[in-house]
Amino acid sequence: MSIDRKWIALALTLMLALAIGCKKDAPQVAPPPAVEPTTTDTTERVEAAPAPGPSTDTQQPQRPATLQLWEQELRRQGLIGDVFYAFDRYDLSAESKQRLAKNAEFLNSSEGQGVMVTIEGHCDERGTNEYNLALGQRRGQAALDYLASLGVDSSRFKTVSYGEERPFCTQSDEACWAQNRRAAFVITAAPGY
Amino acid sequence: MRRILLCLSITLVLAVPGVAQDPPAGTQPDVTITLADGNARQLRLAVPDAGLDNTASASLRVAAGDFDQTLRDDLDFAGPFRVQGPDELGVLTLTGNQGHDFEQYRSLGNDIVVLGRIFEEGDRFVLEGYVYDLPSGQSVFGKRYRGSMDQARRIAHTFADAIVEALTGEPGIALSALAFHSDRDGFQELYLMDYDGRNQRRITGHKSTSGFPNWSGTSDAIAYVSYFTEQPGVYYVKLPGGEKVPIHTSGNLNISPSISSDGQWVAFGHADAVNTDIFVCQREACSAPQQITKASGIDTNPAWSPDGSQIAFTSDRSGRPNVYVMERDGSNVRRISFDGNYNDGAAWHPEGTLIAYASRRGNRFQITVTDAVTLETRTLTSGPHSYEEPTWSPNGRYLAFSEKRGRSSQIWVIDSDGGAPRQLTFEGNNAAPDWSAGAL
Repeated sequence: MSIDRKWIALALTLMLALAIGCKKDAPQVAPPPAVEPTTTDTTERVEAAPAPGPSTDTQQPQRPATLQLWEQELRRQGLIGDVFYAFDRYDLSAESKQRLAKNAEFLNSSEGQGVMVTIEGHCDERGTNEYNLALGQRRGQAALDYLASLGVDSSRFKTVSYGEERPFCTQSDEACWAQNRRAAFVITAAPGY
Repeated sequence: MRRILLCLSITLVLAVPGVAQDPPAGTQPDVTITLADGNARQLRLAVPDAGLDNTASASLRVAAGDFDQTLRDDLDFAGPFRVQGPDELGVLTLTGNQGHDFEQYRSLGNDIVVLGRIFEEGDRFVLEGYVYDLPSGQSVFGKRYRGSMDQARRIAHTFADAIVEALTGEPGIALSALAFHSDRDGFQELYLMDYDGRNQRRITGHKSTSGFPNWSGTSDAIAYVSYFTEQPGVYYVKLPGGEKVPIHTSGNLNISPSISSDGQWVAFGHADAVNTDIFVCQREACSAPQQITKASGIDTNPAWSPDGSQIAFTSDRSGRPNVYVMERDGSNVRRISFDGNYNDGAAWHPEGTLIAYASRRGNRFQITVTDAVTLETRTLTSGPHSYEEPTWSPNGRYLAFSEKRGRSSQIWVIDSDGGAPRQLTFEGNNAAPDWSAGAL
């Protein structure tokens, strides 16, 4: 539509509106839909709705199966046992300290030389998910700090908090919650693997 | 007054064909009819099924049915309307004569009638929608919408939002979306859904643990946490394409990102060792984020105020987790949660000073709202389960949250006064909803 025609349309419509539409006693009987509806093509908006390609996202690498098997064996022998915490706490009990001392012994042994460990901090489900991410960090770090105090080289450790996102036990009772409030030892690298 | 303003609005819509989606600045707010709250009567809308030609194809009939239902649901959910559909309108004798039919709609107490005509143009779905003020018989507006056949619901949302805006002066929310995380496909990944729970789709594929989405106020980015490098990092999904962009990934812990309303800034929880603090940086330049909390306890889960001047967050400096508010530079910290023994998950109302959060009473969390200025507090839920992670709808009329029953979790939405709960998710476990500020 040219500018001239647009202005004419505007003027005519204004006149029309003033003459009919806004009269005090507009007729109760509505005119037929004299309005030619204005064109609004939503196609572009419809097709712009996000259709992201999740398949191209970077994925988490998997550890070698042989390393996972060896780790299971070490855990079975009680050489890299988990440490457990009280509800909403991250301080270490006497039992936890004994447990960590045993883990330190293995890591400082000839078999444990060169083993790299991630200490995972976990929480039960009763707190909020987001706060538990910070609480799990404290749990993992408390275990790491104690190991370091026992003379294990702290550069062999990383900590990662999973909060309540990766529970070990999925029942909703205290026995299960107690298992989920833990620091778990995961071997990320070792000589020969 | 109202009629005169409606006339003005019609005039302008008529005069500028092709540009009707955004009426000229200054005209729209004038049409406002205050109905929302208090004792004001709800505006009554007659919304019969849109007209279809006898020759309409089967696929068009299906799409039209979807359109009709979606439009009525949208208008019903919008709040200030009472909607009558074919069930209620079925008692009327309609002749096709507009004057006669309008009288019929009025006889059931309706103030407005929403009429539509649906037809095909090639393989496109076309709607001509008309909204009439019944007492005067005047057109409020008429618009034409076109899209692919599978977008009938989206066209209904678009038309519904236009109706809401024309009748109330307030933008509709039918085109808003919620981001959330779900384990339905095996791994915890990010998902989107329409505001009514429909059209749920996965948007990440890290095959790790990913979640805790937070929308930019500009609706072009969703920040989130992912463990795919094995350490939790904060990233964002760029929309519409879906590219994943790192925000901050170094250190031991990067969690709970919150993007400011203008989309420029990110606040998040970060720890290099034992203690988590809140850091702030620019979304596109976050190599050296600024630490803004320095207390000895945990400070985490930040949330920007809508104007970007303040940040609400959770701290255990009192001995238990509680919600605090500070200036964006970390100064002037004050506690705002005093009920319950564990408070987390602050979400600012899109306009005011209200902050919603999860407050533990006994063993369960309840959705609670506190005015950050007056500290006046209201608890909205009282159910038998745990209600957490609240998020406000863009117009502040609704809250979505996650309901936890033991380890299972689903997303619900309620009115901001706590009423009318509706479940939005059903498949797998779903949590951490975050409602977009605008249309997606």
